[in-house]
Amino acid sequence: MMARFSFSWDKGVGLFLIIAVVLGSLLSDNFANASNLSFVLRDVTEFAIIALAMTFLIISGEIDLSVASTLNLSSASLGFLYRAGAPFEVAIVGGLLVGLACGLFNGWLVTKLGLPSLAVTIATLALYRGLSYALLGNQPVNQLPEFWISIGYGRIPGTFLPWSTILLVLLAALAWFILHNTRYGRWTFAIGVNQEAARFSGIPVERTKLMLFAMTGLMSGVAGVVYTLRFASSSPDGAVGYELSVIAAVLFGGVSIAGGIGTMWGVLAAVLSLGVIRSALQLAGFTANSLLIVSGGLLLISVVAPKITEGLRSRAFVRSKVNTNKTIREVGNE
Amino acid sequence: MKAMRSLLKARELPVFLALVLVVGLTGVANPTFLSATGARDILLGVAIVAILAIGQTFVIVMRHIDLSVGSLVGFASFLIGDLYSQGYGLWGGLAAALGVGVLVGGVNGFLVAYLKLPSLVVTLGALYVVRGIFNDYAFGRTITAAMVPPEVAWIGLNRIGGIPVLFLMGLVLVVVSGFIMRRVRSARDLYAIGSNPAAAELAGIPVARRVFTAFVINGAIAGLAGAVMLGRFNAANANSGLAIELVVIAACVVGGVTIAGGSGSVWGAFLGAILLQGITRAIGALGIPQFWQQAFNGGLIILAIAFDKYLSTRVKTTTIMGSDDG
Amino acid sequence: MGPIKSTVTVPVLTMEHVAKSFGGVTALVDASLSLYAGEIHALLGENGAGKSTLLKTLAGVHKADSGEISLEGKPFIQGGTRESIEQGVAVIYQEPSLFPDLTLAENVFIGRHLLKAGLVDWSEMEERSVALFERLGVTLDPQSKARGISIADQQIVEIAKALSTDARVIVMDEPTAALSSKEVERLFTVVRNLREQGSAVVFVSHRLDEVFVLCDRMTVMRDGSTVGVSMISETSEPEVVKMMVGREVSELFPKLEPQIGDVVLQVKSLSLAGQFADISFDVRAGEIFALAGLVGSGRSEIIRALFGIDLYDSGTVTLAGKLLPAGKPAVSMERGIALVPEDRRQQGLFMATSIARNVAVTMLKKLTSGFRVKRLDEESTARTWAETLQLKFASLSDPVERLSGGNQQKVVLGKWLATEPTVLIVDEPTRGIDVGTKAEVHRLLSQKAQQGMAVIMVSSELPEVLGMADRVFVMREGRHQGTLERVDATPERIITLATGGTVSV
Repeated sequence: MMARFSFSWDKGVGLFLIIAVVLGSLLSDNFANASNLSFVLRDVTEFAIIALAMTFLIISGEIDLSVASTLNLSSASLGFLYRAGAPFEVAIVGGLLVGLACGLFNGWLVTKLGLPSLAVTIATLALYRGLSYALLGNQPVNQLPEFWISIGYGRIPGTFLPWSTILLVLLAALAWFILHNTRYGRWTFAIGVNQEAARFSGIPVERTKLMLFAMTGLMSGVAGVVYTLRFASSSPDGAVGYELSVIAAVLFGGVSIAGGIGTMWGVLAAVLSLGVIRSALQLAGFTANSLLIVSGGLLLISVVAPKITEGLRSRAFVRSKVNTNKTIREVGNE
Repeated sequence: MKAMRSLLKARELPVFLALVLVVGLTGVANPTFLSATGARDILLGVAIVAILAIGQTFVIVMRHIDLSVGSLVGFASFLIGDLYSQGYGLWGGLAAALGVGVLVGGVNGFLVAYLKLPSLVVTLGALYVVRGIFNDYAFGRTITAAMVPPEVAWIGLNRIGGIPVLFLMGLVLVVVSGFIMRRVRSARDLYAIGSNPAAAELAGIPVARRVFTAFVINGAIAGLAGAVMLGRFNAANANSGLAIELVVIAACVVGGVTIAGGSGSVWGAFLGAILLQGITRAIGALGIPQFWQQAFNGGLIILAIAFDKYLSTRVKTTTIMGSDDG
Repeated sequence: MGPIKSTVTVPVLTMEHVAKSFGGVTALVDASLSLYAGEIHALLGENGAGKSTLLKTLAGVHKADSGEISLEGKPFIQGGTRESIEQGVAVIYQEPSLFPDLTLAENVFIGRHLLKAGLVDWSEMEERSVALFERLGVTLDPQSKARGISIADQQIVEIAKALSTDARVIVMDEPTAALSSKEVERLFTVVRNLREQGSAVVFVSHRLDEVFVLCDRMTVMRDGSTVGVSMISETSEPEVVKMMVGREVSELFPKLEPQIGDVVLQVKSLSLAGQFADISFDVRAGEIFALAGLVGSGRSEIIRALFGIDLYDSGTVTLAGKLLPAGKPAVSMERGIALVPEDRRQQGLFMATSIARNVAVTMLKKLTSGFRVKRLDEESTARTWAETLQLKFASLSDPVERLSGGNQQKVVLGKWLATEPTVLIVDEPTRGIDVGTKAEVHRLLSQKAQQGMAVIMVSSELPEVLGMADRVFVMREGRHQGTLERVDATPERIITLATGGTVSV
C-alpha cells in the first residue's frame, strides 16, 4: 500500500540522517560535541515546527508559501506590542494570534473563495511581510526581557538540549499522532488523494482544509516566537527564504507534492538531516552556499528516487500477481 | 488583428483597465505621476520583470512553473560584467549568460518533460543550486559600473523617442512572442498541453518535446535578461535577482495567465508586470509610506487572482445549462 | 439499420492474432478484428475482456507484442498516437478529450492546425469547422470555448475532428453512456451518415439493445481473445451474452418479495434553481424507489442535494421524523443515509489507496476510541465486507485501481453498506459493469431491501428500472411527471412521462 512505500522512504531518510551524523563527526572534531549539537537543534527548531504543519497541508494537496512571512509578522507583532507597552507574555500571545489569523486568512481565500493556494500564498507572502514593515518600520525591537531570552537561547540545565527542543518534541509527537492515528489524519490523506471522493464520503473538506491552513499559520506563529527569543530581536526582515527550506525539507522527507503520501517520521528525519548537514559543512569550512546546493540536490533526489522505486515496485507487484493467482477468490455463481 | 482584439476582450482587458484606473487616479492625486519622468520611471522599472514574465508565460500556460529564473537572471547579469572585465568582450559575456540559461533550462526541461518530475520541485531545487553556485562564483565580488560593457550601459541609459530602450526591448519581445503564440502551430500546442495534458498526448502532440523546448527557451530568455538587468542597475553582486521569481509569477497571474494552465497570453503577462510596477510607483506618488508598499502589492495580487477566478467561473455557469432534452 | 453498402470484399482494417502483455499481466491473448468500409461494427465484451487494449493498440497508445495489423491493404505502422491519426484512425474515447480553454474550431484541428504561408489560419479553421458541424446536423459557434458544452456536443466536436482527418476507421467507446435518448438518436443518425460515406465505424457499448438497433456486424471478445464474429441479424441478445460471459446468465434481475414498511424519508417541495423544482416524494423501508427519466432530467442533482453535497434553495428533507440539515453530508451519513455516486472513479473511490482504507473511510468515527483509529478494526471491517460482497481481489492492501470495474463498484457499495444506512441511494449502480457483476449487484440491492433498507435508485437503463423498482418516479427537465407502481410500470409509460406526455393508469 502507499503507506508501506513511504515507510521505506522515511526509513531511508532516517538512515541518511545517521550517515550524515557519522560523516559530520568524521569531517570535523567540533561536530559531535554538546555545544554544537545544541546549536544544530536550535537551528532547526523553527523549520521543524513549521514543517510539522506544512506536512499536513501538502499531503492534503495544498501549499503555503507565506509561512516565512507569517513567522516574521508574528515576530514583528510581538515586538510591536511589547514596544507599545504590553507585558511580554501578552505580546507572545498576540504574536501567536497573529500567526493564527494569517493562516485563517490564507485558508479563507482558498476554501471560501476557491483560489489556488500556490498563487494566493505567493501574494500573502508579500502582504504579510509588507505588514511587518508597516508595523515596525525600519526599527527592530531589541530590548527583550532577560528571562525569556534565556529560555530562547539557553539549554535545559544538565543537558545539551535547548529549552525549545521540549516544545518541538511535544508538538512533533502530537503531529505524528494526529496524522497517523486519528481520523483527522485519514481525512487529510483522503482529501489529498481525491478531494471530490472525500466530499462524497462525508469528509468535511472545506472545514478540514481551513483548519490545516490555520494550523500552519499558528505553527508559523510559534516558530516566530521561538525565532524572536533565539535572536533576541524582532525585526521586519528576518527569516527571508525560510519557506523554501521548509518545503524542501518536507519533500525530502517523503511527502509527495501531488498530495496523499507522506509520513511525519520522514519529515522530522529530513529536517534534522538538513540541520546536521548545514552544521557539518560549516565546520568543515564550506561556505553557506554549499548548503544551498545540497538542499537543491536533496530536493531533486527526493523526487527522482520515488519515481525509480515506484517503477521497481510495480514490476514486482506484477510479478507477484501472476504467482498469487491461486489466492484470488473466485466469483460465486448462482 | 481581429483575433488579437477578441483576445484582449477576454482576459487581458481587466488588467488593462486596472492599469488605466491606477494611473488615472494617482495622476489626479499627484500630477507629477503622469509626467514624462513619472511614466519613464514605471517603464524603466518594469523591463526586467516584464521580459521574464513573457518567458514564464510559456511555462505556466503548460501548467508548469519555473522558480529558477531569479537565480538565473542574477547570475547572468553578473557573468556578463565579469567576463567583459576579464577581456572576453560583450559577446563572451552574453554567450556565457545565454549558455547558463540554456543549460539550466535544459536540465529543468529534461527532468520535467522526460522524467515527468513536478516542475515546482525541480525548479525549486534549481533555484537553490544555481544560487549556490552563483554565490560561490561571485564570492565577495561586485560588478561595478566600470565593468559594464558600454553597449549594455547604453541600453540602460538611453531612450528612443522618449521611451527607455530597456522597455522597448520588452515591447519587441512581447510583440514577437505574442505573434508566435497565436500564429505558430507548435506554440499552440503549449495551450493544449496545459488545458488537458492527457488529451494532448492522445491527440498526437509531442508533449515532452514541447515542454522541454519551452523550459529551454525560458532559460535562454532569463539568461539574456541578465543584460537587461545589468543595464538597468549598472551593477551586480551575489544578491542580484533574489526573490524576483515571485514578482514575475505574480505579474503573470495578475495578467490573466492562470496557474491552472491553458489560458492567458504574453500580452497579459506584460500588462500585469506594468500594473504591478505602476502600483509600486503609485504608492510612492500618493505619499503612502514606502513601508506599506509590499503589503499593497500583496493585497493587489490577491484581488487580481480572485477576479480572475470570478471571470472563469462566470464562463462555466453560463454554459453549464447548455444541455437539454425533451 | 441498413445493409453494408460496400461490395468490396477486402476489409479496410484487419487485426489478426494480436497479443499484448504489460509486465506479467496478459491483456490480449489472441484478438482479431476485421472491418469493412461502410459498416457499423460492434465490439462487445465484458470489462477486462481486452476491448480497450485492442483499441488503444490501434490508436497508437500501445504497441502489440505480436500479431498483424493492416490498414487499407498496407501494413499498419505502430508508432504512436500521431502515426495512427495520420494513417486514418480516429478514436472517440468515453471521456471526451477536448481542451476546455481552446475554441471549438481549434479543438477540431488540434495538432494539425490549418496553415496559410506557414502560419495558423484561424478564419479557414473556423469556416471548415462550421461546415463540419453542419454536416453533422448541429449548429455550434466555432469561436466559443469548449469548456461547459454538453457531453453530446463534445462528441460532435470529436466526430468533426475525426472527419477532418479523413479518418478511415472511427472508433467510438461507449458513446451513449451519458446521452439523453434524443441525443442518442442524433448520434445514430450521424453514425449512419458516416457509414453511407464509406467510413468503418467501431461501436463499443454495453447496451445490447442499442447495438442491435444500430450495428451491422459484431465481434465478441472474452479474456483477451476474440470468441465470435457474426452478423447482427443472425444472432440474438441472449446468445451474445452467453458468448461474452461464457456461461448462462439466467436471472439478471432477481427481484425478491418486498416487505414494505413505514415511511423513512420524506422529501417536500425540494427546489434548486436551474436544476429541479418542487420535488416531493416519500420512501418506505423495504422498498426500491427508482428515479427514472432522461439524462439531464435532474435526478442526480436531486439526490446530491438530498445527501448534502449540493445545497438546495427551498424545501425540506425529513429522515425518520427528524429534519435533515441541508448541505451537510457528514450529518446525513450519521443519521443513516448513504450515497453511492454516479462516477465511481472520481467520486466514489480513492484509486491509489488500499481496498481496506477505501471501505473503512466512512466508518472512521465508529472505529475510533479515544481519538485513535484502530488499524486492525479497519482491516477486519474491510475483510467482512469483501467476503459478503464476494470481492475478487489479491490483498486488502492493494490499491483499488487494480480491481476491475465491477469489483470497484463492490468496494463503493461495501463502504456504504458498512454504515448500515436506513436509506441507501445508488446512482447508476451498474453503469460500465460486466453482466455477471451486474446480476450480483441487483441481487444485493434486493436482499438489502428485503431486510428493511429503503433503496433509492437512479437509473437510465429501463430494463434495470423495470426489473428492480417497486415504484418509479419519473422526471423531466427537473420536474416530477408522474409516479408508477410496479404493476403499472411499462417501458412505454415511463418513456411517455419522461418525454412530457401523460399516461392514464
